[in-house]
Amino acid sequence: MEQNAIYELLAGALGDGALGYNEHALEPWADVAPAKVVEACRFLRDDPRLGFNQLMCLSALDWDGLDEAGKGKSTAILGYTDDGQPETSDRVGTGDLGVAYHLYSHALRHKFTLRLRVPRDVAAVPTVSGVWTTAAWHEREAWDLMGITFTGHADLRRMLLDDAWVGHPLRKDYVMPGTWNGVPLQGQPYCANPFPVETGGPDQPAGDKPAEG
Amino acid sequence: MANESTRVNAPGLVSGKGWHDQDHVPGIKSELLELNMGPQHPATHGVLRLLLQTDGEIVYKVTPVLGYLHRCAEKIAEGVNYKQWVVYTDRFDYLAPMCCNHAYVTAVEKLMGQSVPERAEHIRVAVSELSRIASHLIALATFGLDMGAWTPLLYCFREREEILNLLERISGGRMLYNYMIPGGVRYDVPNDNWVADVLDFVDLMEHNKLPEYNTLLTYNKIFIERTADVGVIDAKTAVDYGCTGPVLRGSGVDFDCRRDDPYSVYHKFDWQVQLGRGEMGTTGDCWDRYIVRAREIEQSCRIIRQALQQLPEGPYQALALKAIVKAPAGAAYTRVESAKGELGHYIISDGGQTAFRNKVRSPSFCNLQVVEKVGVGQMVSDLVALVGSLDIVLGEIDR
Repeated sequence: MEQNAIYELLAGALGDGALGYNEHALEPWADVAPAKVVEACRFLRDDPRLGFNQLMCLSALDWDGLDEAGKGKSTAILGYTDDGQPETSDRVGTGDLGVAYHLYSHALRHKFTLRLRVPRDVAAVPTVSGVWTTAAWHEREAWDLMGITFTGHADLRRMLLDDAWVGHPLRKDYVMPGTWNGVPLQGQPYCANPFPVETGGPDQPAGDKPAEG
Repeated sequence: MANESTRVNAPGLVSGKGWHDQDHVPGIKSELLELNMGPQHPATHGVLRLLLQTDGEIVYKVTPVLGYLHRCAEKIAEGVNYKQWVVYTDRFDYLAPMCCNHAYVTAVEKLMGQSVPERAEHIRVAVSELSRIASHLIALATFGLDMGAWTPLLYCFREREEILNLLERISGGRMLYNYMIPGGVRYDVPNDNWVADVLDFVDLMEHNKLPEYNTLLTYNKIFIERTADVGVIDAKTAVDYGCTGPVLRGSGVDFDCRRDDPYSVYHKFDWQVQLGRGEMGTTGDCWDRYIVRAREIEQSCRIIRQALQQLPEGPYQALALKAIVKAPAGAAYTRVESAKGELGHYIISDGGQTAFRNKVRSPSFCNLQVVEKVGVGQMVSDLVALVGSLDIVLGEIDR
């Protein structure tokens, strides 16, 4: 089924919970209200015309530094100073957080993308692990790395990081700790190439210049 | 341990009470035992820790504990440019890095709107399928090893070595290749008879080696007893838990990204998707997942043969490719059938030369979740069979 037809069905079922549809994008998506996301997912899964039985991917997003049109400059990632100390910053992120759901139907062979945005300071989204069980682990990972609370989740613990870790690293305003359990977390800045290469050699394709800054 | 009586009698699953609650032997007290399987355990295929609650030999609860290999590669992706991050994708599924390269460059090309020369696509398909064979060989070998069969391991590693040699000749790396770039591949096919050598290897694999594995392992009575009817994942559970790849197809769901969500040039080749059919027991048991991988090796051989026999002349990189890759602002999700299943990338670009956000959906991560359900009520030794048949690789689970 066409993407805009799917959105029309969804908007008809959700009413004012469907916030809009972006059809000019490379990959069209529908915006839904966070409070209505479970209802939307259940409709998308159970309606026989849609039949989205697989949640392909659940991504946590941080829109800090990006405007509505997707333009802007990504925020610089804090690294380490030349003497190996972590850079510090007082900057507080202001952008929204978000979640993207990528759905697929095995029977009807079509895809759909749902997105929602939540304010940064009260980042809570209802869990969809009751609709697709696979969401349980995706949501744990999203909580761990991005700090989005999934209300109603049965087991919302850290997944990849240590249980005692502080902060959520994928947020744009995350600051690396200098040490962890007494172990210094020193390293090269992310952007610097520790092995600068000369370009233009016989086997070297022209594109392998070291990154700038 | 495919003995029917041991599994059906798994006590307490219906009533909520187990051996430890019952007065089987008066005067002897029993209780649930918490057991760590891993992180250093030969049957967990990497640094995976399974926290088990067992009652005797019966598993009551499985809790996978992840993160021992976590590098936060998604954060690193926000700091390095599109070409530089290819090298990190090698480290996801380090048993089939070409497939991971392929998944990532496909995603970046979709975002950029970059076209790829036909010759590059043929080379990509050939090396991805070689990588898939290497990964499946490890899967067969270590699965046999988990089941107590030592010899097939040595046979499978012998053939894998041949593949590593072939891939070293084209890319320069033995195990981690960094071979593909957005818009093509880094190096052309070497002119030292590489294509003919690959075709020879593929023939040997298909006609000599696979029948050898079948004699040694596949139709071995002991192996079948250990794996048939064990760890059954039905089709509904597999889809609900987001299983993909050989795990999904082993459960009888007819889906393969290469055919149903086509990318690259897979549509040009003649091959078949392999499904588990419950030949030795129930559809979706460990033996089905094993045989799907074994038969996929054969299909990969067919794809490689066609891709290289039809290898067109022409450039192996897009000529218009700039030194620094930039993608216009936008977002796209692409998925590719890697050796373990569906490897997805959700990349959001802000118009610059680094990704604003790069989310990786790794197949092993989703496939592993199913042990929380299917592992319950099994014998501990059957749990080893289940985890072995899922063929996880921790590099892409922890990322």
